[in-house]
Amino acid sequence: MMETLGFFATSWLDPGLLFLTAVGTLAGIYVGAIPGLSVTMATSILISFTFKWDVNEALALIAGVYVGGVYGGARTAILLNIPGAPSAIATALDGYPLAKKGLAGEAIGLSTVMSVIGGLIGVLALALAAPLIADFAIKFTSRDYMLLGIIGILLVGTLSGESFAKGAFAGALGVMIGMIGLDPMTAEARFTYGSINLMGGIPFVVAMIGFFGVAEALVQLEHVARTPIKQAVTRIVPSWPDVRRYLVLGLKSSGLGTLIGALPGTGGDIAALLAYDQAKRSTKNPEVPFGEGAKEGLIAPETANNAAVGGAFVPMLTLGIPGDAVTAIIIGALFIHGLKPGPLLLTDTPHLFWFIVGNLTLANLFLLVFGLTGIRIFTKVVECPRAILIPLIVVLSAVGAYAIQNNPIHITWALAFGVVGYLLKRYGFQVGPVILGVILGPLIDANYRRAMIGAREDVGQFFTDLISHPISLVLSCTLIFMLVTQLPFYKRRRR
Amino acid sequence: METSNQLRPGERLFALLLVLVAGFVFAEAHAISGFRGLTTGGVMPMLAAGVMLLSSLLILADTLRKPRNGSGIQALIAYLLPLRVVLFAGLVTVYAALIPGLGFLAASGAFLFVAIWGLWRRGPVLAAALSTLSILAIYLLFRVVFQVVLPLGSLWQTGKLWS
Repeated sequence: MMETLGFFATSWLDPGLLFLTAVGTLAGIYVGAIPGLSVTMATSILISFTFKWDVNEALALIAGVYVGGVYGGARTAILLNIPGAPSAIATALDGYPLAKKGLAGEAIGLSTVMSVIGGLIGVLALALAAPLIADFAIKFTSRDYMLLGIIGILLVGTLSGESFAKGAFAGALGVMIGMIGLDPMTAEARFTYGSINLMGGIPFVVAMIGFFGVAEALVQLEHVARTPIKQAVTRIVPSWPDVRRYLVLGLKSSGLGTLIGALPGTGGDIAALLAYDQAKRSTKNPEVPFGEGAKEGLIAPETANNAAVGGAFVPMLTLGIPGDAVTAIIIGALFIHGLKPGPLLLTDTPHLFWFIVGNLTLANLFLLVFGLTGIRIFTKVVECPRAILIPLIVVLSAVGAYAIQNNPIHITWALAFGVVGYLLKRYGFQVGPVILGVILGPLIDANYRRAMIGAREDVGQFFTDLISHPISLVLSCTLIFMLVTQLPFYKRRRR
Repeated sequence: METSNQLRPGERLFALLLVLVAGFVFAEAHAISGFRGLTTGGVMPMLAAGVMLLSSLLILADTLRKPRNGSGIQALIAYLLPLRVVLFAGLVTVYAALIPGLGFLAASGAFLFVAIWGLWRRGPVLAAALSTLSILAIYLLFRVVFQVVLPLGSLWQTGKLWS
């Protein structure tokens, strides 16, 4: 118990880690708030600089950026009616009307306190649920990991995109990119075309920077001339009666957010929208109608999206399957540091698990401090024109892609992935499944081959194994259910 | 807001391009180890390429079901390749090409200056000041704090822009 507490408090007691968490949270608030910058973009660039650091230092900074970033989007949603992040789309629906009524400060204060409550509940759920899930996941075999990997990619593709086919294409494209290089089992060259640069494979960080950073910069060019609206901000710290009044709603939304966040493929954005919808249905007589400045409409999505952070860590740490795009990047960071997220992570490296729990708690406390202060400087910074931000994103992407292996060719690759990502985004594809495919592709490949070797290369035996073991059966049924629900006849029946 | 029910300019062409790309990738995946076994290095690439091919065909079929929106090549260019994007992408290409010769800091400084000047349109002096400040911040953060060895550039090492 004392040992666990010691692991939990690592970043609380180490001044360096404390500082990095604080800096990460503060930076995350700005990254999440500035339209054009995103948490996924920032974390993918950050990994390329922090991979040489000690794992705790890297995680402290990245976790801070993640927690701060999910919250930060709310500020611009309230002040400018521009959600800084997708998870703040629902926040703008009632946050901006509140600001127009001169209640911007109150809305920011309330969203900060509720975000922190949601965030802490999400972390508590992580601490309680992860060890139980990990104990169970130890029983997983190669074929189960293969199925989990496929389910993870398909879930992201299904839930985040505009059609299942587009999600599946994006996921498969990612798997394909992940296959480039020498086969780790047979050293056969795959899509290398004789290039030495391709033999080692494409570092997923380079793909991430291209698809998230450069592509987003190109998409943002469309909005380069948009000028932000200015709002007056007065009292920020919310009144205790207000907090107490909305606490029950906050707790309900936190529970929902944690659950949604824990599902691979979902994340803060879906959690926030569902919580908003749930609040709208369950609030009988709001003081102000939803959409016109209802505080319930502000609180529900804000608590849910921050609670989803803790939830997203659950499948990532226990099964090695990321809950959303940012945890997909964090899983990459763990791989870079030689760690293998999965059920054994909790038994082999309990210090790391409890460090993450402690660090996320700390980041939420910093969020409370930074969320309730520095609003005046903040309003100046978020007014930074996109015309300056976009070129800076490109330069940061270039240095990030280069830094991972000090190889200039990676800059070209990141820029090329950026162009591909731009085209995909313009035609309604999500780039999240691509990145998940790049990361999970090699895992699926290795586990498929192990499972097939286990079945002595007998296709019949392979499929029999998939349905004759309880865990494999449940996962196979989940996969089949996911595929069936995407078929036209099923969709017609649902309508 | 665009929905999946509306055909975007050039969407059919893009879907067709995806089918062709997926077909090519499948052929390349098959070339790795063919159908020699079920655990060879080419199996997963073939499976992934198969999914790409199947899903791209579904995407193409979906675009064929949507009514034509009558948009021509001009609408496609306006949607996909507006002048700003084309010029910016061109600038980014030049930037990437210049890094090995000019070095990261000089190439980034020049890129930032031209890009900010072109996009912001507040005059060259402000653009120069901002790009200088940005480069200084990037140098301090990445070279000094993160200790990233930034490309120096062949021009400063050998006197040649292209090595």
